[in-house]
Amino acid sequence: MTIRLIGYSASYPTLRVIICLKELGLPYELEPPASYQSLKDEDFIANKHPFGKMPVLFDGDFRITESRAICRYLASKYQGKHNDIILIPKDVHKAGLVDQFISYELSYYDPPLSKLVYQEKFAKKFFNKDPDPEIIKQAHEELAKVLDVYEKLLEGKEYLNGEYSLADLVLCPGTNYVYGAGHSDLWDNRPNVKNWWSRLCNRDANKKSFEEIKSFWENN
Amino acid sequence: MAIRLVGYSFSGPVLRVIICLKELGLPYELEPPASYQSLKDEDYIANKHPFGKMPVLFDGDFRITESRPICRYLVSKYQGKHNDTILIPNDVHKAGLVDQFISYELSYYDPPLSKLLYQEKIAKRFLNKDPDPEVIKQAREELAKVLDVYEKLLEGKEYLNGEYSLADIAPCPSTYYVYGTVTHSDLWDNRPNVKNWWNRLCNRDAIKKSLEEAKSFLENYENV
Repeated sequence: MTIRLIGYSASYPTLRVIICLKELGLPYELEPPASYQSLKDEDFIANKHPFGKMPVLFDGDFRITESRAICRYLASKYQGKHNDIILIPKDVHKAGLVDQFISYELSYYDPPLSKLVYQEKFAKKFFNKDPDPEIIKQAHEELAKVLDVYEKLLEGKEYLNGEYSLADLVLCPGTNYVYGAGHSDLWDNRPNVKNWWSRLCNRDANKKSFEEIKSFWENN
Repeated sequence: MAIRLVGYSFSGPVLRVIICLKELGLPYELEPPASYQSLKDEDYIANKHPFGKMPVLFDGDFRITESRPICRYLVSKYQGKHNDTILIPNDVHKAGLVDQFISYELSYYDPPLSKLLYQEKIAKRFLNKDPDPEVIKQAREELAKVLDVYEKLLEGKEYLNGEYSLADIAPCPSTYYVYGTVTHSDLWDNRPNVKNWWNRLCNRDAIKKSLEEAKSFLENYENV
């Protein structure tokens, strides 16, 4: 039975799971909700996500929510089954560090990044609100400081934990949006970060996923 | 070699790790930093936490940061070695759901709870700022809605994932502080499933001991 993924591919937590599915070589069916408002319907809340969010993944009868938890589950269950890609290392110490880097993304990288994603990509188009230049400026400055830390974390390494892992995957979707929305200097001005981002953009799963949503933005 | 945990035991994220260590029966040494300011020192940033935060755990030469990854690492490595306590089930589906509930805590439960914690416990005592009643009101309303969801999630269950797990440990520290302000204990007490769940958690040895440790540390602590 195919995996079902509920969400919009343009929503970057959903895209996180899409990239993960592609990396692991897993087929899936994407089921976009009727609308953002439909996420608050009683039925969605009762049977899909109790907090009215996306993505939601069904693997047969098994339902799981929250993009990073979904990715960890998919990696635990399917890693190595369809190809050789390792998203979470078997070694408990290496896996611990991958988890740590995922937490850095969640705690420090994503907050300013998600503000920029909303302001630059979603505010006007989906919510008819003008981007707020003050928020953009502050978020840009905050993200710059975070990327200074990432510049050091990546010293002498191709990926955050040395080898490619879920720690790199989780920040790809949001970064793709903000990089392409007039803030590319944040990554390009830092050599380690720049090379790391180029490397990530060259991965098949990322290339295909970014192409997929490109046509969403062009057609909506 | 004993595990070293860098942090203040009353700090929520540090307390999360302390509960986990106690649940797994693991001895450890607590190393409180000199001050909150010292977390921004070059040396701390280079050798402990690149973002200047606590906790930091050293297991021999191995260093790991961020409370939830630290807990997951300890569970992966030591679960079942010193006692029978299971914090992450071996079954991949059950483990996935524990992970999901940890994410709910992080995404929905913690944000309004942290605001209340800051306003009621930290602002005046540590930063000489008056609590903001508007922020408190909004945070309470937001947390009430989250706890309405938790009330349903706990229907017919003793713990979030049925059996006790890391998912129940994650919300303990901040809940303890905000519940303890008495002003806001109604948020948990007015919801029967949530109330019973919280009482059950407060009665667990590891949690009881950890919270007492934090309480006495906080009472004796002069400078932060």
